[in-house]
Amino acid sequence: MAGQSDCQLSVFSPEEIEFVAEDELVEIVPNLRMDSLNFICGDYGPFYPQIATQVPLWLAVALKKRGKCTIRPPQWMSIENLTQVLEGERDSHAFQPLPFHYVEISRLLFDHARDDIPDIYMVRSLIEDIRDVRFHKVETNLEKFTASSVTCKNMSAMEVNIIRAFAGRALEAFYKHENEQQVPDTDGIQDRQLQIPNDRPKRNLKPR
Amino acid sequence: MANYYDIDDILVEEEFVPLVFHKAVNGVKVDESIEKSYIAQGSKLELPFWLAHELHLRQAVSISAPACFNQKTRLEIQADAACVDLRSRCLYFYKFGCKLAPLCDKTIGFLLAYAFGLRYKEVLHKAHTVAFTAASKFLSRLTKEETNLYEAAQSSMMSFKKWRMGGPRLHRAAILGRKRKVDE
Repeated sequence: MAGQSDCQLSVFSPEEIEFVAEDELVEIVPNLRMDSLNFICGDYGPFYPQIATQVPLWLAVALKKRGKCTIRPPQWMSIENLTQVLEGERDSHAFQPLPFHYVEISRLLFDHARDDIPDIYMVRSLIEDIRDVRFHKVETNLEKFTASSVTCKNMSAMEVNIIRAFAGRALEAFYKHENEQQVPDTDGIQDRQLQIPNDRPKRNLKPR
Repeated sequence: MANYYDIDDILVEEEFVPLVFHKAVNGVKVDESIEKSYIAQGSKLELPFWLAHELHLRQAVSISAPACFNQKTRLEIQADAACVDLRSRCLYFYKFGCKLAPLCDKTIGFLLAYAFGLRYKEVLHKAHTVAFTAASKFLSRLTKEETNLYEAAQSSMMSFKKWRMGGPRLHRAAILGRKRKVDE
């Protein structure tokens, strides 16, 4: 796959995860008049000035770069909601529900639509904090790993991707050692033991 | 051989194990310095694992645990598994142990699981937090398997950080940067 640093270590690069995240829908307010666009993934538009509509993030960013629209930040990106989420993350052990691609969406919006987000500094630092708290939680979860039980709910795409290679290998090793313990492999060895040449059944040939 | 094309698997089987011959073997010269060309019954030797394994299957030898699984190492692992320098004892501690356990000593399986459980936590903490330069001392204690684990975590963390810092989203393919060589 393109943009992938090492096919052995990580299955997806962050750039690929970002690419996937660009299919998420956002609301834009266009300032141009345009017929609807027909893509394989669906039809978007028609676009009328000042009438809000839903488009994929990549299209929103492309229009935004040309100054043809303003992007409406998603509901969850408000300061009230984010503060609430951050408090929830700090108080409880579980992950708070956030969009699956929240890391990527927020970075794309911060990069390309900074003038459309009210209080961008506050929002940005809140999301950074949430991400840090959550990643610390991911690490404590990893600590509790055993081969038999793994449960993580509400983890986001980027968080999963960071630990993908590590967790996969660790689980593999745990599984291997646990099995080694439970089934002392005696029978297998006995079966595979080669026959001693002397015991080999002899062909009964007629004496000449 | 379990995995013919796996270089690690080949290297694991190069490790020497102590063994005792149950049978006298003629016409074999294991050690060049010894004049005689046969091995007496009951003689003790060290042979690579791949050879010892085949001999064991033919019931010609019995294998005993090599130095990296001796009592001293066990005690050290029980005391503080994270601080034991397993790399110097055996680069492929876990793989080697897994291969050996059914042949000579079943308790190696428990030892491996116990050691890995504790050392895994250490790797986990170091891999996601400590900067690469600070970790070099810690890295020198890890076995090959643990180093792989560490590097997997480190590289995905690095690529995430690189992505977050931003930078050019489009890269030029390496082949385009080259200048055409002019033939003389």
